[in-house]
Amino acid sequence: MWIVEYRELIRILTISDLKVKYQSSVLGFAWSLLNPLLMMLVLYFVFSRAFNTGQENFALYLLIGIVTWRFLANGTSSSILSIVGRPSLVTKIYIPRQVLVLSTVLSSFVSSLLEFFVLFVLLIAFGVKLSGNILFFPFVYVAYFVMIYGISLALAALYVYYRDLNQIWEVFLQLGFFLSPVVYPLTIVPEKYAELYMLNPVTLVMQINREILLYSEAASASSLIFVTIAAMLILVIGSVIFRRLERRFAEEL
Amino acid sequence: MRGSLMRGTQGPDIEQDESVIKMDGVSKRFRIPHERKFTLYEHIIGLIQGGAHTYEEFLALQNVSFTVAQGETFGVIGPNGCGKSTLLKVLAGVLYPDSGSVKVTGRVAPFLELGVGFQPELTARDNVYLYGAIMGLTKRDIDRRYEEIIDFAELKRFENMKLRNFSSGMYVRLAFSTAIQTDPDIMLVDEVLSVGDEAFQQKCGRKIDEIRRSGKTILLVSHSLDTVRELCSRCLLMKDGRIVFLGDTESALKEYDRMRKEKS
Repeated sequence: MWIVEYRELIRILTISDLKVKYQSSVLGFAWSLLNPLLMMLVLYFVFSRAFNTGQENFALYLLIGIVTWRFLANGTSSSILSIVGRPSLVTKIYIPRQVLVLSTVLSSFVSSLLEFFVLFVLLIAFGVKLSGNILFFPFVYVAYFVMIYGISLALAALYVYYRDLNQIWEVFLQLGFFLSPVVYPLTIVPEKYAELYMLNPVTLVMQINREILLYSEAASASSLIFVTIAAMLILVIGSVIFRRLERRFAEEL
Repeated sequence: MRGSLMRGTQGPDIEQDESVIKMDGVSKRFRIPHERKFTLYEHIIGLIQGGAHTYEEFLALQNVSFTVAQGETFGVIGPNGCGKSTLLKVLAGVLYPDSGSVKVTGRVAPFLELGVGFQPELTARDNVYLYGAIMGLTKRDIDRRYEEIIDFAELKRFENMKLRNFSSGMYVRLAFSTAIQTDPDIMLVDEVLSVGDEAFQQKCGRKIDEIRRSGKTILLVSHSLDTVRELCSRCLLMKDGRIVFLGDTESALKEYDRMRKEKS
């Protein structure tokens, strides 16, 4: 299995990716944590007035949404470049090319975990009682990771052939941001669209995170199963697309 | 790196005939479109305008078959554009053949270019570990070899210096030492034997000789016929993607000489 055989390379590439990410901005590490907090503040002042819903702890509700969303947005938009960005590792030597995608997604995963760590601190500071339900978090987040990795495989492979895909994807992300309950409560979604709306696996991940972190509720079995199946499905589709397109990577780069 | 394309075909039958590289009827064709489309936008516009996809086909390899035995030093020669590099890339697993089969048994080190994956922002030490990992080694493997690598490159004093501050000579020395110390079973070499100053070149020559004697397999693509004559026991002569001659080095070189005279 390539993951085992190339674990050292995956580790090194992930770490060097993180180093580059945190060294290139002036405030470095602090900035990457400040970013979601500032975004939360802005959105809080805008949307707490827009939807006067009396959502409990709306600021933290927002922050969980933002941090969850950022993993998807940052993870996919950096890994879309992961194949094209390292042409010599594709054309001059053979390594399983999935390594390049996986290490980029892993680096976003680590960043996201750090953001969640800050989130935990804030939850405690705001007096939210964390219960044993927090144990669902690792499971949900690994499933979410698999989802993002699957999407990234497809995007990175397609980007080799279509070099404007990153811009198209940015538009999709904008759309997704508003089609997922990041900035608004679920209650504003019209009844007749509710079922369709809940088919978005990102929505479910976000809601599960809120239930287990903010409201001390257990995650429902049905939504856990749905998220798991969705993650597996996305991974399989992503892998199939990647395998098919991979064969001509070296010719296109 | 292991020949993962070919895994599952390693069986007792291969060990019996002792061939570690086996190409059977391999063809590779490149499509060179008249108008290269890089974006989805261009593809959509192309569809609307209804122009058919026009491209020229270029056969880089045509029905190439040969085997290389364990421990052999095998040369590939031919004029520019004859498919040598494509052949090497197919063996390295970078390009996939359109038809035919390729079997490579053992850990392959492709020297298609020196310093693949090296990052200028990392130190020499970190780059050695990075390269080792690219070759599929574990951290412990690299730990074991690290001292040897840095000594061979004569860069002990600079091991913690960032690579971007290296001179080009130091860079190739580090790259060559790292690559050669990954202990491959099969080396695919594309004209990289001339690195560094003369003293270092001689050292590399000795090292390659040592590797050759230790029973490793080397496949050498070269324009330098002297090197080929000196090192290789058998040669493959190619022209326009086809095998023109396959056999002992002297005859192959004669054939190549004849071919060049015919042309001029």
